[in-house]
Amino acid sequence: MDIDEDDFVFYGTPIEREEELNSRKKKAVAEASGHLRTLPSWKQEVRDEEGRRRFHGAFTGGFSAGYYNTAGSKEGWTPQSFTSSRKNRAEFKQQSMLNFLDEDEKEELEGRSLGTASQFDTFGFTAAEIARKQAEKEQQQRPSAVPGPAPDEIVLPATESIGVKLLLKMGWRHGHSIKDSHANSLYKARREARKAFLAFSSDDAKSQPEDSEPGDEDHKSILDHQPVDDGFPSSQSTPVYIINPKEDTHGLGYDPYKHAPEFREKKRTRVSGKRGSGNKQALSIKDSLFGLKSGRAAPGFGIGALEDYDAEDEDVYASAYDIEDTYIQEDEEPLRSNTENNPKLVWKEQGVLPGFKVASNSDYQLERFDPPVIPKDFLPHHKFPSPLEFDKKPATPSPPPPEVPPPKDDNLKVLIEGVATLVARCGKLFEDLSREKNQSNPLFSFLIGGNGHDYYSRKLWEEQQKHNGQKKIALDGKLSSSVDKMTVESRGKILGEMPLERSSRDLSSSIASVNVNLPFNLSDTFTKPESFSEFPEVAKPFQDDPGKQERFEQFLKEKYQGGIRSTASAGASNMSEAARARERLDFEAAVEAIEKGKLNKENKLYSQQIVGFPASGGMQFTSGGLQQGKDTQDEDLATKKIYPRREEFQWRPSSILCKRFDLIDPFMGKPPPPPRMRSKMDSLIVTSDLKAMKMEEAFSADRNQPLALQFSPQEVSKDVVDRETVQVENVERPVDLYKAIFSDDSDDEIEASNFNTKEDPEKKIEVAHSTLNRLMAGDFLESLGKELGLEVPPNPPYSTNIARSSHQKESAIANAGNDNIQSVEEKSFSIPIAHGVFQEERMANDEKTAKKGEFRKDEQPRPSEDKSDKVYSGKIAQEDKKKAKLPRSLHRKRSSTSSEDESSRKRSRRHRYSSSDSYSDSSNDRRDRHRSRSKGRKKRQILFTLAHLGGAPTSWSIGCLLSVQVYGSLDSRVTINGYSELLDMKKPRTKRFNTLIPDARMKGLLIWSCVLASEGIKLDTCHWWGGWDLIHLVTASLTGQESNELQVSFTSKIS
Amino acid sequence: MSNVSELPSKEENVLKGHEGGVLAARFNGDGNYCLSCGKDRTIRLWNPHRGIHIKTYKSHGREVRDVHVTQDNSKLVSCGGDRQVFYWDVATGRVIRKFRGHGSEVNAVKFNEYASVVVSAGYDQSLRAWDCRSHSTEPIQIIDTFSDSVMSVCLTKTEIIAGSVDGTVRTFDIRIGREISDNLGHPVNCISMSNDGNCILASCLDSTLRLLDRTTGELLQEYKGHICKSYKLDCCLTNTDAHVAGGSEDGYIYFWDLVDASVLSRFRAHSSVVTSVSYHPTDNCMISASVDGTIKVWKT
Repeated sequence: MDIDEDDFVFYGTPIEREEELNSRKKKAVAEASGHLRTLPSWKQEVRDEEGRRRFHGAFTGGFSAGYYNTAGSKEGWTPQSFTSSRKNRAEFKQQSMLNFLDEDEKEELEGRSLGTASQFDTFGFTAAEIARKQAEKEQQQRPSAVPGPAPDEIVLPATESIGVKLLLKMGWRHGHSIKDSHANSLYKARREARKAFLAFSSDDAKSQPEDSEPGDEDHKSILDHQPVDDGFPSSQSTPVYIINPKEDTHGLGYDPYKHAPEFREKKRTRVSGKRGSGNKQALSIKDSLFGLKSGRAAPGFGIGALEDYDAEDEDVYASAYDIEDTYIQEDEEPLRSNTENNPKLVWKEQGVLPGFKVASNSDYQLERFDPPVIPKDFLPHHKFPSPLEFDKKPATPSPPPPEVPPPKDDNLKVLIEGVATLVARCGKLFEDLSREKNQSNPLFSFLIGGNGHDYYSRKLWEEQQKHNGQKKIALDGKLSSSVDKMTVESRGKILGEMPLERSSRDLSSSIASVNVNLPFNLSDTFTKPESFSEFPEVAKPFQDDPGKQERFEQFLKEKYQGGIRSTASAGASNMSEAARARERLDFEAAVEAIEKGKLNKENKLYSQQIVGFPASGGMQFTSGGLQQGKDTQDEDLATKKIYPRREEFQWRPSSILCKRFDLIDPFMGKPPPPPRMRSKMDSLIVTSDLKAMKMEEAFSADRNQPLALQFSPQEVSKDVVDRETVQVENVERPVDLYKAIFSDDSDDEIEASNFNTKEDPEKKIEVAHSTLNRLMAGDFLESLGKELGLEVPPNPPYSTNIARSSHQKESAIANAGNDNIQSVEEKSFSIPIAHGVFQEERMANDEKTAKKGEFRKDEQPRPSEDKSDKVYSGKIAQEDKKKAKLPRSLHRKRSSTSSEDESSRKRSRRHRYSSSDSYSDSSNDRRDRHRSRSKGRKKRQILFTLAHLGGAPTSWSIGCLLSVQVYGSLDSRVTINGYSELLDMKKPRTKRFNTLIPDARMKGLLIWSCVLASEGIKLDTCHWWGGWDLIHLVTASLTGQESNELQVSFTSKIS
Repeated sequence: MSNVSELPSKEENVLKGHEGGVLAARFNGDGNYCLSCGKDRTIRLWNPHRGIHIKTYKSHGREVRDVHVTQDNSKLVSCGGDRQVFYWDVATGRVIRKFRGHGSEVNAVKFNEYASVVVSAGYDQSLRAWDCRSHSTEPIQIIDTFSDSVMSVCLTKTEIIAGSVDGTVRTFDIRIGREISDNLGHPVNCISMSNDGNCILASCLDSTLRLLDRTTGELLQEYKGHICKSYKLDCCLTNTDAHVAGGSEDGYIYFWDLVDASVLSRFRAHSSVVTSVSYHPTDNCMISASVDGTIKVWKT
């Protein structure tokens, strides 16, 4: 190569084209990247990608035409990306085609559009300009729903300006934009031209007509009428968005037909119907125009894109087309109605059918009749057609029939009396009626004159006398008041109005009167009870003042008689108005008190007793109230002390209130008040549990034989009662707790629960909660007391009593259930409510019973325990080991343990507290029981451990758990430690305890207890010994099931 | 008469700010501040000695009828016509909790000594105790043995004492679980306890203040002269328990001698009903609130 080069001889200058180019390129690149940016724009040189300066021509821009030699704008032809952030709001940019047109193109375009329209444009501008301006002007004139100027693409003039008219006449239609149509057509023309130019080589003849078509079409569309549009209907038309002028009185944006579009339709038809009847010239023109248009011209979007498509493809958009159509129509309507605003309004007001005129004067007149004139002496009371006796001859009563002894037949006597009463009340007519009706009935022969007639007539007379007397009073009252000057009060009285504030009392009293009178006035169907004086003597609150009492009775009589009230009777005539009013108030209050007293007697409301009020008080309290307590509190009456008067009741503060007040619940350990149903359930558990256990044992003993063990109900119940009365709570409750918490799982499930311990936390929590709530801490106390070397005294007697009574009840219930029990499953299901939550879990399947057997087998006497810590840990370990054992000796064990269990239970109960020597024995027994009764799980034991540690330490002293921490780890060790405080009466002390359970497979268990803990179960209601209920969970932390350590911490407060 | 000169009767400050009647004004535990509440639905914290308005607590939907502050001044409790009891944080002015449950207006509210329980007295004839420690908004106890609206409540360390329109002052002793009802025969408007805790002063609607011995229920004295017939007017004993102070519906403030019940002093304090009086726990200073919208600070 070297030689070759050397040998060559070069003439002239070589054309350094490549190098030059390269260097230039480099320069361009350098400039582009480097200093070029720093130059001001006018000093920059525009170069192409090869670095050459580009010449655009002297006249149209020189070296830098367009936007840096690209497009006419900064954006150029690059597709726009839209970014908008909270801080930088992207402004809305609207691009129109004009943005991309060069000046000359625009000019060209302008010229062309002008050329076509100017022929018809009388105003010197393009029709589009005019239209837009018109729209603006109109918008200013009329109120619009859209404030401010609307974009002119949207608003098209809906006017009748000359230009529009002309345009319309020229065939321009609404919905077609003049400007845009031109632009579009031009654009299309240009496009076609471009296309043609690109393909100019191919077919001149074909492209030429296409090129010329848009121009032609413009003319066509204006000169010709609608049919022409079919060629390119869409590309030229824009949808008409017309802002509906708001002409109704609805709120902005409120559409009354929003949920009922059919009414809008209806309204529109109505409006159009009215319009149809209208006769305005412009209107009709417009109408015809619109009518023509609305059906046909359906300008659409995007059809332009379909230009090149086949006809069938357009069907895709057919539906859209329709929608567009209706849309436009809808928008048109208000516009039209706007133009005919006034007439429509008028019609609307008149409510005249289209085509009808409102008559100037109407023949029809509403005829009004005056109300009938009520005669002055009209009595607003119903009178029976047959006048009463006293009405006929009030002044001269007939001589009384002779006194006749009643007939011997009691029935007849009663009948006669009843009829007489009725007749006296309702008049002769009733007699006639009943006579007629009972003509054939021998019983009623006394009416016709047969047997007992004399007695009847006498009775009738008596009744009438009674009745008349009463009526007379009323009549007198009425007369006297009508004679008097009419006051509001008297008028009200006549009309039977009651003063407003007493209405409620009257209501209640009238109800009471009905109640009272019902028994002995059953026949009183037509009238109110006539005399209140027959009332029991309870209604004599003014015994000390006979006059007053009399007036009171009178008052009552009137009150219950209702309606008319005599002024004379309102009080003694010598009383002042004020005194009378006060007395009246007294009476009212007394009546009320009487009723209340009755109610109270019925309801036996102890605490609601009404205490006396001073009769002299300006208050509405009267001494009448005193009478009420007569039967219950005679001594109160006797020693009517001056105020203040002190009474004492029992009141039960809620335990949490005590806690918050830092006081000891005085009712601690006492059963909750009766309304709480839970207390019953507590005892329910015991019996049912026992029996269920037995049944389970029987069941597991021999599954195939139906009920190997038969219980006689009496025996069971007696047994239960026997035992439970001795000591109920100590035996069963803790077991229930554990069962509630843990009974659902077999051991296999324990393993499983390691992974899904949260499977049903809610249920468990519920169960645990309910059980904990009724937990009695005696057992814990006892054991802990022993642990601490303290002796636990027997339970207070009342608890035993309560237990006994409730157990008797429960056993009775259980007996009933016992009789018809067929299988063990049923039995366990028949266990009532208390176990309902985990009922299903108790259903014994084979596995479970087998497991149970295992545990029972484990119940062999343990090494005597001297330190509970050791024992418990050891126990757990033992259990774990024994888990592997086969249920071989199951049957034998079970039978033995069950019987053994029963006897040992009794024994242990008797000896439990008396001798500490029997401790190990009894505790063993107890544990046995726990096992046998529950489907004993080691979980239970663990919790038991916890409970022991946490239990209240001593009996009569207040002790509590200060803190407990439980650490479980994956290596199956559990550490429990904490502090408990013994608040002994003599010397309080704090004890620290620390327990290690070496092999416990605790993980799942601890999570459970954690769930228990984190639920914040407060043992509020377990106040057997104190202490236990003071345990209050403050913190519970759960460091996850997967983690190695699990911490449960209790902290409690001490008083 | 040296006694009389000790009584606050000089207007030291006027605390203005409430728009509408002031229904209650209360000193805080040490007497350095006072709280007021009124018909304008606000609670206001004042420094009465300097006459400064410190803070306004707004959240009530209706008039605020009573307010009480804890001993450590950290929490407020208020109640009113919106049937709720509001538990406030004093510093932030935020409502920590709202206790709902009263069936109608709540007339009075008090903290217990440890500020762990709020006891409210309502028109619904009940007393309700609310737990401030837990997050529960349910009442921990409802006492509904009253047969009319409960107007006022006082708490001691072991008792809840409440006065009702049914004419009774009922003491609920938590220690022994007893309810002691002292029937005064007249609607009780307001009760306040003597500083030694042995007596209850009950304002009755028969324009009488009655002093009861708490242990026996005996009526020790009656104080008359003022008008109290239809409004809930507060009454109190002075810090030394030597005098009884009370407002009147005619705008006067009355001072009685505790023992012989003679009116030692009366002066026109407000233009309208004096709804509330509160005596400084240690000094001879008193605040009074009135329907006229002002709170006045009285000193000797």
